Amino acid sequence: MSITAEVGAELPPLTLTFTREHLVRYAGASGDFNPIHWSDRSAARLGLPSVIAHGMLTMARALRIVTDWCGDPSRVRAYGVRFTKPVPVPDDDEGVEVTVTASVTAVADGVATVAITATLGGVKVLGSANAEVRLD
Amino acid sequence: MPISDAQVGRAYPATAPYLVSREKIAEFADAVGDANPAYRGSAPIAPPTFAAVLAARAWDGLFADPELDMKLAQTIHADQSFRWTRPLRAGDEVTATLRIDKLRARGASAFVTVAVTLATTDSEAICEAVSTLLHTWPKEDA
Repeated sequence: MSITAEVGAELPPLTLTFTREHLVRYAGASGDFNPIHWSDRSAARLGLPSVIAHGMLTMARALRIVTDWCGDPSRVRAYGVRFTKPVPVPDDDEGVEVTVTASVTAVADGVATVAITATLGGVKVLGSANAEVRLD
Repeated sequence: MPISDAQVGRAYPATAPYLVSREKIAEFADAVGDANPAYRGSAPIAPPTFAAVLAARAWDGLFADPELDMKLAQTIHADQSFRWTRPLRAGDEVTATLRIDKLRARGASAFVTVAVTLATTDSEAICEAVSTLLHTWPKEDA
C-alpha cells in the first residue's frame, strides 16, 4: 500500500521529555556507557554544563515524527542529523522538553524527503536533520 | 595529537556477529519511547537507529587502536547518518566493518569521520552508518 506526500505538508508535531531516567534506559539498551551521559564530573571535564542526552537518543526519538506519520518504519531508507547543541538533562523529575516539527521538502521517484526540526528552548539541537521515506 | 592523514582509509576487521533478538528490539524500542507495532510481536523489525548499536560495536576497534589513543569519554558525537538497504530484523546475524573516512584536526581535537558497513553473515547489505566523532586528546598529548 502506498502513502501520499505533498511538498510543504507539515507532519503532526511531537514534544519529547528527557529525564535522567531516559538516559539510563538508553545507555542500557544501546550499550553506550559514555560517562558524559551519566556523570556530571565527566561532562564538566569536556566543558559541558551537566550530563547531556545521548545524541543518538535525541536522533532516535525525533525520528518518531516520521514513523508515526508513515506508519511502517521500514519505509525509512535514509536519515541523517548533525548534533548542533547538546541537550543538558537536569537531575530532577521534570527533565527538559524538546519540540519536534517536520515538513515534506521534496517528493521524487517515490521517495519523500522530510526535514525535521528539534528545538530546546527555541534553539535547534539537531541540524540538517532529514529523512527519506519510500512512498510506494 | 597522535592522529594524522596517514590513518585515513584505515579499515578494521569486521566485528564478531551480533544476533538481533526480539527482546533487544523491544528493550531498545522502550528506551526510545516508541510503541510502534512493527517493533513487537513474533517477527519484529528493529527501530531504524538500532543500527547505531551495531555500528558502535565497530567503534570499539577504533578506541582499541593504540596508535590513535582515542577514548570514548573524550568523544562527542558530532553527526550521524544512515542509509538502509532494508531494516534489521529479529534473527539477523550482523557484522560491522569500520573504516576511517576523513580527519580534520582542530588544536588538540579532531573530527574523525568513520563509515561502518552493516551486513548479515550471509553477506546481505543492511546499512551504511557514517559518524563524525569530535575527539579531544588530553593536553599533555597535544
